[in-house]
Amino acid sequence: MSDRRLFSFIDALIAGRRPGRLKADPDDVEVLRAAITLGSARPGDATPDEQFVADLYQSLANQADPTPANVHPLRMRRGRTALAAAAASIALVGGTFAATESFDQSPATTAAVGVPHEDALRTGTFETPTGEVLGQIVAYNGHPSWVYMNVGVSQSTGTVMCMLQLNNGSIVAAGTIEIHRGTGELSKSIPVDIHRLRGAQLFTSTGAVLGSATFA
Amino acid sequence: MPSARRAVHSRSVAGDAARLRVVDPDGYPDWEAVYRDNIDRLYRLMYARVGNRPDAEDLTSEVFRTALGPLRLASSKGEVRAYLLTTAQTVLASHWRRTLGLPVTSIDPESDIAALAEPSKIEAPSDAPQRAGKILAALPDRYRRILELRFLEACTIKEAAQAMNISVSNAKVLQHRALRSAAKAELELEQ
Repeated sequence: MSDRRLFSFIDALIAGRRPGRLKADPDDVEVLRAAITLGSARPGDATPDEQFVADLYQSLANQADPTPANVHPLRMRRGRTALAAAAASIALVGGTFAATESFDQSPATTAAVGVPHEDALRTGTFETPTGEVLGQIVAYNGHPSWVYMNVGVSQSTGTVMCMLQLNNGSIVAAGTIEIHRGTGELSKSIPVDIHRLRGAQLFTSTGAVLGSATFA
Repeated sequence: MPSARRAVHSRSVAGDAARLRVVDPDGYPDWEAVYRDNIDRLYRLMYARVGNRPDAEDLTSEVFRTALGPLRLASSKGEVRAYLLTTAQTVLASHWRRTLGLPVTSIDPESDIAALAEPSKIEAPSDAPQRAGKILAALPDRYRRILELRFLEACTIKEAAQAMNISVSNAKVLQHRALRSAAKAELELEQ
């Protein structure tokens, strides 16, 4: 590799760009390695971008459940569709986990169990009393039934309690959402038919109501 | 229970029992748990090996796409992480083969297992700053300064030249010599 090309490669590393393809000389390997070591010491890029983590998660969820047509008729917003796909994947894997030997198989294999019908999913949006959106919740009817929710709150760390409410007002399940960088998620199996659910409420660790969701 | 129903029930129970198995409490319940527990540290490891975000993201994605398909979730967390690392080793080797034709950096599943072994919710204590600090400390002042400006402070070559009161051409030469010297220092650190 010429000095000029070597400089270009290193310049790209320093600028955080993807370096181009080059034919490296064995003599350059140690220099490139030193440049990578020095570059990776800079704070910032060494931490994965949250959007990247979320996008890859969604992509893997789609890979595990490659039939988005099953959730399309719900006409959900993009965020909720993503949540439903994730919930469906969890439900498929969770159901497999519960009672079949295909637990040992890949997510692609578990998809053969079947994807949820649209009436097997219920969704809701967590909102504060003033109407600010806090997150989404999806309930999946199966064996077992599952709920999956994500929330975004002003506090950067800590916990948020979630309680599910039946149509008759009783509480059927509760869970704690760990908040990390202002967001958190919870998936939990629930021992009820999801069509008996009215909604869910979020509480702070001191018991104050953060918000609530009513299932559509 | 009527005998016929009892028989069916018994067969059902027996069938379920045959399919049920003990789940290792040290294992992952599903692919999502594998992902959430390892995405952070696997990305950091990949970033430390390629030094730029776009490639680190692509390679991390490739590892998960490749590994999650044939992954046996019945394995322990340690076994799953070792499998992810083995996949990462292959993915990184292919990356260097495609881009430079030579393996500039590598992943060793045995020595790098510590990179994935810690709980993911704790910020990974990367050793990159310490390692870079040792390399820079071994260099003459001017070599150290040009590399600090360029790599740690992300200055352009023009900005670095201005900060050191030298021409851009001299800054390029200085950077090149400094990197050669840093490479030697890194090799000595490894020995």
